[in-house]
Amino acid sequence: MTLRTYVNTNVLLIQNYSDYSCPVANNYADNKIRSDDTVQTTVSRSCHDGYRRADRVLVKVQDLTPDKADQLIWLRARVHTSRAKGKQCFLVLRQQQFNVQALVAVGDRASKQMVKFAANINKESIVDVEAVVRKVEQKIESCSQQDVELHMERIFVISQAEPRLPLQLEDAVRPDGEGEEEGRATVNQDTKLDNRVIDLRTTTSQAVFRLQSGVCQLFRDTLINKGFVEIQTPKIISAASEGGANVFTVSYFKTSAYLAQSPQLYKQMCICADFDKVFCVGPVFRAEDSNTHRHLTEFVGLDIEMAFNYHYHEVIDSITDTMVQIFKGLRDNFQTEIQTVNKQYPSEPFKFLEPTLRLEYTEGVAMLREAGVEMGDEDDLSTPNEKLLGRLVREKYDTDFYVLDKYPLAVRPFYTMPDPNNPKYSNSYDMFMRGEEILSGAQRIHDAQLLTERAQHHQIDLEKIKAYIDSFRYGAPPHGGGGIGLERVCMLYLGLHNVRQTSMFPRDPKRLTP
Amino acid sequence: MPMYQVKPVCGGDIQIDLPTCMYKLPNIHAQQEHSCTSEHALQNGEVDPAVKALEARQDEIMRKLYELKAAVEGLAKTVTTPDADLDLTVSSSLSPQSSSSTAFKGTADLDTLLGKDLGALRDIVINANPEHPPLTLLVLHSLLCQRYRVLSTVHVHSSVTSVPPQLMSCLGPRHVDSYARHLFQLGFTLIWKNVPTLQMKFSIQNMCPIEGEANVARFLFKLLTPYPSDPAVATLVDSWVDTAFFQLAEGSTKERAAVLRSLNSALGRNPWLAGPEFSLADIACFCCVQCSGSASSAPANVQRWLKSCENLGHFSPAKLLLQ
Repeated sequence: MTLRTYVNTNVLLIQNYSDYSCPVANNYADNKIRSDDTVQTTVSRSCHDGYRRADRVLVKVQDLTPDKADQLIWLRARVHTSRAKGKQCFLVLRQQQFNVQALVAVGDRASKQMVKFAANINKESIVDVEAVVRKVEQKIESCSQQDVELHMERIFVISQAEPRLPLQLEDAVRPDGEGEEEGRATVNQDTKLDNRVIDLRTTTSQAVFRLQSGVCQLFRDTLINKGFVEIQTPKIISAASEGGANVFTVSYFKTSAYLAQSPQLYKQMCICADFDKVFCVGPVFRAEDSNTHRHLTEFVGLDIEMAFNYHYHEVIDSITDTMVQIFKGLRDNFQTEIQTVNKQYPSEPFKFLEPTLRLEYTEGVAMLREAGVEMGDEDDLSTPNEKLLGRLVREKYDTDFYVLDKYPLAVRPFYTMPDPNNPKYSNSYDMFMRGEEILSGAQRIHDAQLLTERAQHHQIDLEKIKAYIDSFRYGAPPHGGGGIGLERVCMLYLGLHNVRQTSMFPRDPKRLTP
Repeated sequence: MPMYQVKPVCGGDIQIDLPTCMYKLPNIHAQQEHSCTSEHALQNGEVDPAVKALEARQDEIMRKLYELKAAVEGLAKTVTTPDADLDLTVSSSLSPQSSSSTAFKGTADLDTLLGKDLGALRDIVINANPEHPPLTLLVLHSLLCQRYRVLSTVHVHSSVTSVPPQLMSCLGPRHVDSYARHLFQLGFTLIWKNVPTLQMKFSIQNMCPIEGEANVARFLFKLLTPYPSDPAVATLVDSWVDTAFFQLAEGSTKERAAVLRSLNSALGRNPWLAGPEFSLADIACFCCVQCSGSASSAPANVQRWLKSCENLGHFSPAKLLLQ
């Protein structure tokens, strides 16, 4: 008796129950005996049925508020939990981040068999429910819809889940500290990533990825409003762009090719092709064997490149303004998502200044030296120093986002434009969120001659980058830009600690599936 | 027995003067160009005495020049202030203090007041609530800009949604050289933030934050000129500053009226609040009187004093904001 029946619930049938053993046998899914012979016994015929039911309106759980009290509504949701207590069965029905309590009690609308049926529905199954919305006097703290509950009249299983789940959703959402204290289980990251489909159903994951979608949307909207053009760059390239070591090789017919480390080369070619201001959103592949909390082998890169008129600070101002608009958009429109994530992963809210704080590299070094760090004027910042500098800047200026300008030339790639006033420094900048670097950018050398000299200085084989240098030979405007990683920006904005939490199906040296 | 003897080719006792130093180089650890007190030391640390004497003479000449400039400025003020018999040359010769308030001090002054120069911009950060803009600090900022090269920036913190445009431009237009922070001696960063009281941060390692507009005003004023050396006058200045911020700005109408009466009597005796010289007390009281809106209803001496303050020209940023 476990055929998945998709029962046609014609209104006339409801009155016709006196012939069956269970008085309300039509109201739940196991039963297939009816007077009207239009029972569909296989799921594949449900499309015929579905057409007849296209006028039924399914209410969303998030719309179940006291103003719908005493209405009879239909809804489709997952069974989050089901608990039988004597003659009653309590279910929590969940739809994405929202859940609502539903109950079925033995009485004139429901029989003992129906209550037993409801209690035995496997967790995570998808059900269609017809119920009356009732107001409750005492708020239901454990649900998102706290002021109402559903008194079920009919319940049908649309898609059944297997009884044993690889992980329990309540465990996946429990904060780590709470789990240890009360002796309850939490789920570790590897298990979550192995069963990503179920883990993504949790309220926290839903909130994180909705926020990530918001970041992408705000990025695009802000740049389009500034007059940027979105471009798509190729990911299969013939030569490694940044450095030789960290590229994936793919076999390409009779030869081999590489997966793009960054869209740098093509962004610059677009500027030389008179697109003036471009951005692109696409995957970036880095074959670094770093198993850290903030490195992935494949991530989504949001890259910007623009030509400027007189000073490369125009580029910095444009990029920082875009970031500030993204932060403001998140602060104003995604508070629910931020609070949901904070329940499981508490963190301080993200603070920023408008216009963005811009410090020079020498100032950063001075602040670090004042705090006791010993470093040379032209040394690069190590990761602990970056974090310390982030804390010092937060202490003094109360901002989690700032730009460090005028890096020493020695630590930057060969295509970085040197500072005209001081040859030891360069027109390059890094941007930091919560003390971790999110963007490395610079004014690029747009003169083929200077570029060749700098490449020779860095002992790079000119043959390998001939195509790159050629693009600047026919008039290239002065330009600059930078790129951020979507996952890292989301992780740092929310104050999470591992970039895999903000990547839907993360890729790292040890993980290739799902 | 030796095989054969040879007469010595050269005399055995020629004195050879071996130099101790192969060649002299300028000290590679010389201080950077923008510092005005570099001593051009030679490689082993000595300083050429001739250069030192020249520097001393130059300092002396500059000091005399600035004294002259102060005298001329005092004379100029007699043209604009209504009280022509109260020019600063007369008043400064009466007071025990010399004209050190306008003497040439330069960066060495900043070194003593703010700590050693670490080779980067010394940035003063002020967090203010946009609902209570600190007029005194704006006035002090314009005074600081006249004395030093100041890089001023205004930011809005994420705790505040938006700020009216006149608060964004209250520190004046952006400096032409603002792309190069290291060209400036002092940084003045004003952040509009949702803070309960005004707060100033300068050196995280050595200083705790300074709270309250009165205290920050005292700190900034000391960058311009030291407090009067006479302790009685210094205490008088301090007590007027406190009166301004506690009773004028935050007090009830009765308290404010009482303050205005005491202002009136004090100004009957002297042209400025703390005696013959313009001081922080005048700045603080002027701003608080204007803020509390009692300027029009003030007694006669106070009105006269308000006019003389405005004539000085330092208060234009505050007036702009009040409109």
